Amino acid sequence: MIDIRVSNCNKSYGSLRVLKDINLEIERGEFIVLLGPSGCGKSTLLHIVAGLDRLSSGEIEIGGRDVTDVEPKDRDIAMVFQSYALYPTMSVRSNMEFGLRMRGKPMSEIRPLVEEKARMLHIDHLLDRRPSQLSGGQRQRVAIGRALVRDPKVFLFDEPLSNLDAKLRASMRTEIKKLHQSLGTTAIYVTHDQLEAMTLATRMVVMKAGEIQQIGKPEEVYHRPVNLFVADFLGNPGMNFMKGHLRLDGGRVSADVGAATLPLDGYAFEVAPVAGQAVVIGLRPESIQPASVQMSDGGAPYALTLKPILTEHTGSDNLVVLAMGEQEIVGKFPSDMLPKLGEPVAIGFDLSRVSVFDAESERRI
Amino acid sequence: MRRFLQRHMSQIALSPSLALIAIFLYGFIAYTAAVSTTNSKAFPRFDNFVGLEQYWRLLHTPRWHVAFTNMFLFGGLFLLVTISLGLVIAILIDQRIRAESFFRSIVMYPMAMSFVVTGIIWQWLLNPTLGIEVMVHQLGFTSFRLDWLTNPDTVIWALVVAAFWQGCGLVMALFLAGLRGIDEDIWKAAAIDGIPAWRVYVFIVIPMLAPVFLTVVVLLALSIVRSFDLVVALTNGGPGVSSDLPSVFMFDMAFRRTNLGLSAASAVVMLGTVLAILIPYLYAETRERA
Repeated sequence: MIDIRVSNCNKSYGSLRVLKDINLEIERGEFIVLLGPSGCGKSTLLHIVAGLDRLSSGEIEIGGRDVTDVEPKDRDIAMVFQSYALYPTMSVRSNMEFGLRMRGKPMSEIRPLVEEKARMLHIDHLLDRRPSQLSGGQRQRVAIGRALVRDPKVFLFDEPLSNLDAKLRASMRTEIKKLHQSLGTTAIYVTHDQLEAMTLATRMVVMKAGEIQQIGKPEEVYHRPVNLFVADFLGNPGMNFMKGHLRLDGGRVSADVGAATLPLDGYAFEVAPVAGQAVVIGLRPESIQPASVQMSDGGAPYALTLKPILTEHTGSDNLVVLAMGEQEIVGKFPSDMLPKLGEPVAIGFDLSRVSVFDAESERRI
Repeated sequence: MRRFLQRHMSQIALSPSLALIAIFLYGFIAYTAAVSTTNSKAFPRFDNFVGLEQYWRLLHTPRWHVAFTNMFLFGGLFLLVTISLGLVIAILIDQRIRAESFFRSIVMYPMAMSFVVTGIIWQWLLNPTLGIEVMVHQLGFTSFRLDWLTNPDTVIWALVVAAFWQGCGLVMALFLAGLRGIDEDIWKAAAIDGIPAWRVYVFIVIPMLAPVFLTVVVLLALSIVRSFDLVVALTNGGPGVSSDLPSVFMFDMAFRRTNLGLSAASAVVMLGTVLAILIPYLYAETRERA
């Protein structure tokens, strides 16, 4: 069942087009993450769903009802902000109660509800404090609590964890995920942090310059990016890109990238390959390992002998920069395998994970 | 020697200005306090010590009572009118209106004028034979009367209106800065919670402006105690002494009635009044910082 439908949505500020013809359908209970670099329009899209921004053209439906011209308060949504946006002059309790009181709910119903949600978020001992007396993590819990008591049809999160330190961010991330699993409420979550996007999303929407680039499950977007932008935006360290052109020998397709010719027999082309077509071959660092390491599909890797020119320890792995003809690629080695600089090693390429892009259109082929 | 210089450079650099402040500010405050204990007339003389007699006389001078009461009456009204209207204007300008800087300039312009000019402008405007009254009469409303300047009971309002006209810009600017400093997400959260705008102002935004209120009150309070030129230009204390303020009283005693002792005593009382306002403020400020 479709819970939120965004149809042909456009938004311009003067001559600046912030959103270009956005179409998005969200099923009930989904956790949708809008991901993209700053200025890509993801927050604007969220604000438009919330009703805080008016769209220039298009339609928004929530729960089967056209809400394009409906006030935010009547859209049955709740929102959590990056800056928490707690009312600083009120206690935590009043912050959580205020929205319900404005809706004319009797205090006898509000009180137990607020206390229940506060217990759920482990902030019940903070109810009589002011927001200024709380830590960042506690404030964000209160902000989530304020959204929870409203029991809305849709939760909207606008980069809620960006103001927290790395460790707290990770633990709040898990909690938001747990919360969503137990409540099952539809959620839209805006972030520029790909780790948050990958871990939280049931489906993610990658945006750039006001346009949706790709919608899909996190693993799908990660392994089968539709264009160079998505491929480059996701992953840390980023995907390796090797420039080359296609070769067709009989029925077999391969890619000549200068230093090597990579066989693409297993690759499922979406567009029929053309001989001599200029392409960019994308391969994630974790698919470039020592030849002795078992590949993800259990098959034998495509092996090459390359010279390491730089290594970096990240703790869990070693990142190894390898010279491949004119180009440099990065491989992710297990932490116990540290190659000597300048001494060629046998490298295995897991070509079942490869992505091929047309060099001109930058689209996946 | 070099090490001494290095270590004490900041003190050395500051000492001339400290010396000047010590002499010309605190020195003369002490001097004034000393004069107030003498029977000085046109010139300060220290051979005639009278103790606190000047303060006693001040307490029994009806004109001083008028001036001192006026200060609180004028001050209270001025504070109330300027803060409430200044806040309202700031809120109106904050509504993302068109030509915002135009309206902001209009409100701010009187601030660029000296109180003397303000006083003269309003003297003309309120003059029953020249200003607004004549204009309204010419429009046909001949029963209209605007005699604030000539009526001892309402003359204080003339001062309040002129001082408000001048002071409103500063107050508006401070409140506007405060309003602009409020996180926009608060407004968004309130919109989603369904809180009407006036309630957001009353329950959330205005309480958040508490530090601005404090600054505004202290600034206005000091300008009330200092206000001298406005009164001189607008009413010159009149009619009679009905719009006298302590500063006018002090000036009059010192330079027209050759009664320096009494004038110095009134100056010391004014300083005490200022300190009574300033010290709690400074105390609160420094405690907040600590």
